[in-house]
Amino acid sequence: MAKIEPGMEAMLDMYFFETNSLLEQLDEILLRTEQANAFESDDIKEIFRIMHTIKGSSAMMGFDNLSVLAHKAEDMFFVIRENPDVITDVSFVYDLVFQVSDSYKAQIEAIQNNIGGEYEQMDFGELTDKLIKARDKLNSEASGEAAPADAAAPAAGSGSAPAPAGGSDKVSVRVYFEDGCQMENLRAFLLINTIREECSFLEFYPEDVETNAESSKEIVEHGFLITFSASDDRDYILKQIETALNVQSYEVVTGEVAKPAAAEPAAEAPKAEIPPEPAQQLQTEKPKPAPAKAPEKPKAPTDQSIEKAQAAVASAQQAANGGSAQKQSLISVNLAKLDALHDIVGEIITTESMVISNPDLEGLELESFNKAARDLKKLTGELQDTVMSIRMVPLAGVFQKMNRIVRDMRKKLNKDVDFVMEGEDTEVDKSIVDSLQDPIMHLVRNCMDHGIEDDVQDRIYAGKPEKGTLTLSAQNASGEVIITISDDGAGIDPEKTMNKARRMGLLTKPESEYTEKEIQNLILLPGFSTNEQVTEFSGRGVGMDVVKANVEKCNGSIIIDSKKGVGTSFIIKIPLTLAIIDGMEITVGGLVFTVPISTIRESFKVEPEQILRDTGGNEMIMIRGVCYPILRMHEKFGIDTEVTNLEDGILLLVETDNKSVCIFADRLIGEQQVVVKPFPKYLARYNIKGEGLSGCTIMGDGSISLIIDTNTLIG
Amino acid sequence: MTNDVIKEAVAKQQSGDRKLAADNSILGKVMTFNIGEQVYGIEIQYVTEIIGMQHITKVPHVPNYIKGIINVRSKVVPIVDIRTRFGKPEIPYTSRTCIITLNFNDIAVGIIVDSVADVEDIHTGDISATPENKNVNTNDFIQYMIRGEGDNTKLILDVAKLLDEQEA
Repeated sequence: MAKIEPGMEAMLDMYFFETNSLLEQLDEILLRTEQANAFESDDIKEIFRIMHTIKGSSAMMGFDNLSVLAHKAEDMFFVIRENPDVITDVSFVYDLVFQVSDSYKAQIEAIQNNIGGEYEQMDFGELTDKLIKARDKLNSEASGEAAPADAAAPAAGSGSAPAPAGGSDKVSVRVYFEDGCQMENLRAFLLINTIREECSFLEFYPEDVETNAESSKEIVEHGFLITFSASDDRDYILKQIETALNVQSYEVVTGEVAKPAAAEPAAEAPKAEIPPEPAQQLQTEKPKPAPAKAPEKPKAPTDQSIEKAQAAVASAQQAANGGSAQKQSLISVNLAKLDALHDIVGEIITTESMVISNPDLEGLELESFNKAARDLKKLTGELQDTVMSIRMVPLAGVFQKMNRIVRDMRKKLNKDVDFVMEGEDTEVDKSIVDSLQDPIMHLVRNCMDHGIEDDVQDRIYAGKPEKGTLTLSAQNASGEVIITISDDGAGIDPEKTMNKARRMGLLTKPESEYTEKEIQNLILLPGFSTNEQVTEFSGRGVGMDVVKANVEKCNGSIIIDSKKGVGTSFIIKIPLTLAIIDGMEITVGGLVFTVPISTIRESFKVEPEQILRDTGGNEMIMIRGVCYPILRMHEKFGIDTEVTNLEDGILLLVETDNKSVCIFADRLIGEQQVVVKPFPKYLARYNIKGEGLSGCTIMGDGSISLIIDTNTLIG
Repeated sequence: MTNDVIKEAVAKQQSGDRKLAADNSILGKVMTFNIGEQVYGIEIQYVTEIIGMQHITKVPHVPNYIKGIINVRSKVVPIVDIRTRFGKPEIPYTSRTCIITLNFNDIAVGIIVDSVADVEDIHTGDISATPENKNVNTNDFIQYMIRGEGDNTKLILDVAKLLDEQEA
């Protein structure tokens, strides 16, 4: 057990956010390259960078086990980066890195769940051993390969080989930190630590930055001088320096900057050539071959080095600028702030209509007022759209995770499945994305596990291609997002489902009365699982009902469409956003209710002869051959109203989840966009939400309207 | 005010030490209001504002003393009628009827009172504990009492109990 270091809590959020997004990025790269079955050198560098960043931030947060793990992974990728051809067994590397990524996620989750308390420090010993072995293996392969390939090339052996004399120029960089950033010496020390591993030779001045606080003065005045061997990946190092924290600028000084000379101010440092370094001095670690592009070429002669250095700087700057421009166009904002902004905009819109349709203005000639009011309305509309769009995030993140799950299951279950993603750039409200991840994951697992046939022969008999297809798609459709998870597997067997339901005692009416749809819906019941065997991925019987509950929590619905032998589709429909809905205002007695327009099929007046009454006196109405029950709102909510005759009021046919009902109200007022507000906390203990109301809203005139929740109203 | 403070105040009054007994320092302020003939009080730190009577939107499926919800500057606030809550007969609302909005632990509630009276200081010497009598229903909501001149005793409501009490 371990505890989070005090003082670090404030940074935890940032750490989680950063590390999680890096891990997602890692997964994405891995999945992409695995399909292509080859690492591009850019990808390797990127993975290396990710591991490196995670290592650094984990160490900073005091998560030593994570830091060590990342370090080992980084080591392995170091070898791969230097010898891109070395990987002979690609899948082995992938599995290893995926394991690392998973271990990371597990540990981070453990920490996240116990913020402020103790968390379990996982032991990654086994995994790190594997990584070390992998590295050594790759390393030996690398040296075996590289040496005979080109005798002139710098041997990539394990440390004893002398570096080529020609490629041993030194590059000196003078780094200036931002004004007033404080503790320059420590920042310099951190910087050195960051690039140390990249350099086969490294000197810096002042040397005592770690221990001597006085050295910051020197650094402020003259900059921090770093000298490293030019045979290292210079672009990379320069980029590291440039992107390091608080670094304001740096210049490449190519000159006689040996240790004593560096003591002089920067201006006096002569821009002379660096003398070639004796090879013996380079006997630190394993000398690396020069950057991948031209490993066999010795470094450029020294008289060109200035030019080269400048070019390198330019390209590094370009790269860094490109990168930072991208970074700066995105900021991360606390969701609570967005919620607050959203609330305020909602209030502005309400207040605006209070002002514009103020009763005091009635009967007045207000030409310019009306013009100004129109402008205001247009602007507030735009404001609202913008705020809504801020909260929208693409589903791509969730989809990517599914990609990963499919990959793992494909291996474990040994099923050959194509995973097709469509419309992953569809955007939905952030809060909805969060609550959709689990349901989608569950459905994808179900499709992989139960949907796709275990035996390829079964597929061949059925005339289907050997390779199964799992499709995850999202699309926007009239204020709703429709997410479909479908497979071309065995489909739901109605007989099996029925048998199972009977055994579990889940049937509520005679078997013959069940329609195909109802049978399919049985699998959504709690405790239902048709798979005889519980596997690692599914079959515990907790799941489908949780999926349903989760989807319904964000006002969505789930439909199953399955045909035996053809495949199964799960269709999830969710509203784009929870906070603002299009509503139809209706009155009942003195109360105003808002019915979400998306649930209304039609509204109509009724003639007495259309009404049917069953023996219990329940009223029903026949519309186009279908019989719908009538729900009197005033009875349901105990409201006094003068309109009790069905033909005096109005009927609204509302439908949700394949259930329909006609609700009876006094009259329609009109359509309005409303901002959904939850009921006050004080009322939370009463079962208002379970009885057909989902919240309330403040209308233009300041009065309150109650929002009907069609789901619970019917259910 | 915590119960400890009240106990301490009561103990001081009964203490033999004359200096302590004579202590009449100010412990806080209460806002007083009338329900029928009785004067009640609520400690001022819980009071958000006093607003006039306005249209209350009824909410179904709640106890009868919750009259509904109102809109106070775009915040939806539930309204409790203190009369009904204390089992007193309802009377028609008049121009003096007020809604006092309270905030306790981030729970906002408005209470309907017959009329608002005053804001006054709480002196240590005036505090009395409630009698130990479980038969009186309203005692549950009274935290302590403040003696005034003559019969003018004010009952100070326990806001925590008023808002937090669990429905049996």
